[in-house]
Amino acid sequence: MSSEHNQTILELAGTGFRYSGNKPLIKDLTFSVGNGEFIGLLGANGSGKSTILKLAGGILKPSDGHINLWGKQLGSYSNKDRAKLLCYLPQLLDMNIPFKVGELVSMGLYPYDIPPEISVDDALALVGLLDKSGSYLANLSGGERRRAFIAMTLLQGAGLLLLDEPLANLDIKYQLEIHRLLKDLKDTKNISVIMALHDINMALQFKKVMLIKEGKILGIGEPENVLKRELLKEAFDVDIEVRKQNGGGTWLSYGESS
Amino acid sequence: MPKLKILLLTLISSLILLSSLFFGQNTINPFDLRGAEKDILFSIRLPRVIVAFLMGSALGVSGAVLQGMLRNPLADPYILGISSGAALAAAFGLVTGSYLFGQLSIPFSAFFGASVVSVLVGAFGWKKGRLLPERLLLAGVGLSFLFYALLMLLISMSSYEGVRRTMLWIFGDLSLADWSLIPYGLVFIIAGMYISVCRSKALNALMLGDDLAHSLGFSAHRERLLFFISVALMTSASVSLGGTIGFIGLLVPHIVRFIIGADNRIVIPVCAVSGGAFLCGADLIGRSIAPPMEIPSGIITAVIGSPYFLYLLRKRDVLGT
Repeated sequence: MSSEHNQTILELAGTGFRYSGNKPLIKDLTFSVGNGEFIGLLGANGSGKSTILKLAGGILKPSDGHINLWGKQLGSYSNKDRAKLLCYLPQLLDMNIPFKVGELVSMGLYPYDIPPEISVDDALALVGLLDKSGSYLANLSGGERRRAFIAMTLLQGAGLLLLDEPLANLDIKYQLEIHRLLKDLKDTKNISVIMALHDINMALQFKKVMLIKEGKILGIGEPENVLKRELLKEAFDVDIEVRKQNGGGTWLSYGESS
Repeated sequence: MPKLKILLLTLISSLILLSSLFFGQNTINPFDLRGAEKDILFSIRLPRVIVAFLMGSALGVSGAVLQGMLRNPLADPYILGISSGAALAAAFGLVTGSYLFGQLSIPFSAFFGASVVSVLVGAFGWKKGRLLPERLLLAGVGLSFLFYALLMLLISMSSYEGVRRTMLWIFGDLSLADWSLIPYGLVFIIAGMYISVCRSKALNALMLGDDLAHSLGFSAHRERLLFFISVALMTSASVSLGGTIGFIGLLVPHIVRFIIGADNRIVIPVCAVSGGAFLCGADLIGRSIAPPMEIPSGIITAVIGSPYFLYLLRKRDVLGT
């Protein structure tokens, strides 16, 4: 654990979740997010990544254990106060939203009675969409639409971003672009991010990854230590190995072909 | 540019309002009011224009709110079945001629019917402590069928005169309008609009989806319940004033969004003004085409509005550009 200047923002302790009468989806989850941390949440479809993010965002209420935000129970915040501290972006962003980019981004100010110093144009400039302010969301490409929503969360000014598969269904170019954008923001604005993923390659870009299976943590830590053959086999039910090239690049080898 | 467009819409709306006061079967010169004309203006025209404006405003705003909160462009105030309850109750009064409350008995029974159905739809749409959009819509559609079937049963058993009056009422009969109605309608419609205007940011957020609304600091369930109450108040009051006028609730919000965009902080007030003016204009046409016969406003709104809407639909992509 190399967390020398770490201040805990979000803390889950023994957190569990089930829809009433059903089997638990999340079991005894314990982890914390420090200030400025960038965590990749990796797991197969249905492993509980989205549920974990919704719990952390306060959209779902934990059935067991507790969740603290800045040392205070998450459920005890008012909706508006919580919205100033953390922000959740769902995986599926409705295509048929009839707003213009500028209108959408300005909604990031809704939690505030007195708007913070950052302006809509600042936020758009950060994601490189300044010239699209007057365009309709529906007319943007997938990557641009995703960036527009990220600009909204930037205006919202929350220190913790919970992003559910923000890179899914995007071309590799946009995946890298958004990943780089978020890393820059982490460096300049000291935001913390938890990002759900199911692409192992992308997870290798993170300093810290959390591998999930059936609502439980299989491993947490640096990718070299977590994304190992045995754990990946257990998480994805496929024989995969992460191999390093001589040049420093990494590649995945699949069991069937080796 | 939106400011200019809003100004223009307000100007056109005011012109329509003034025209519907001074034109009609008899043209009234506002600068030369004499005995009979003064009477017509103040005891017939003015209350009628006010009632038409209130009804149209309420329907326009209800439609905008419902389409937003249910995230469904086909939603309109009548899809929730509120009109079917009002129609059944009003028809019962018209057909049986049972005027319990004297002159106000038709509006009162319509309001009663509308309120009962609102509560029923709300109850069916309610699950696990929240209103679910799909359940709400399906409950409304289901209850509509039931109440319209009962209405048809009632009509099939009644006299020719009763049937004619009921049909007129169903398509919107503003000839009943008079001053005594206005205070009741005004109270409920203002209350409903107040809620919608105050929560217009929440409506924008709900249009992004419940999870994003939550992330922006709104409780989606609470907001949706508030909007439902607001719509129930406005729609019930509107149908009780002068029957079930179609088209406005469904298409006025779309037309307004075509012209000025989707931000509900602007859409809601503009829908109130243009919905009201639109119904006044339709009423003016309905009573001017072949006097003394009046064509129900609900027919005029659909005949004028649908082609215009289809024209806009072809001219523009629904989502802009």
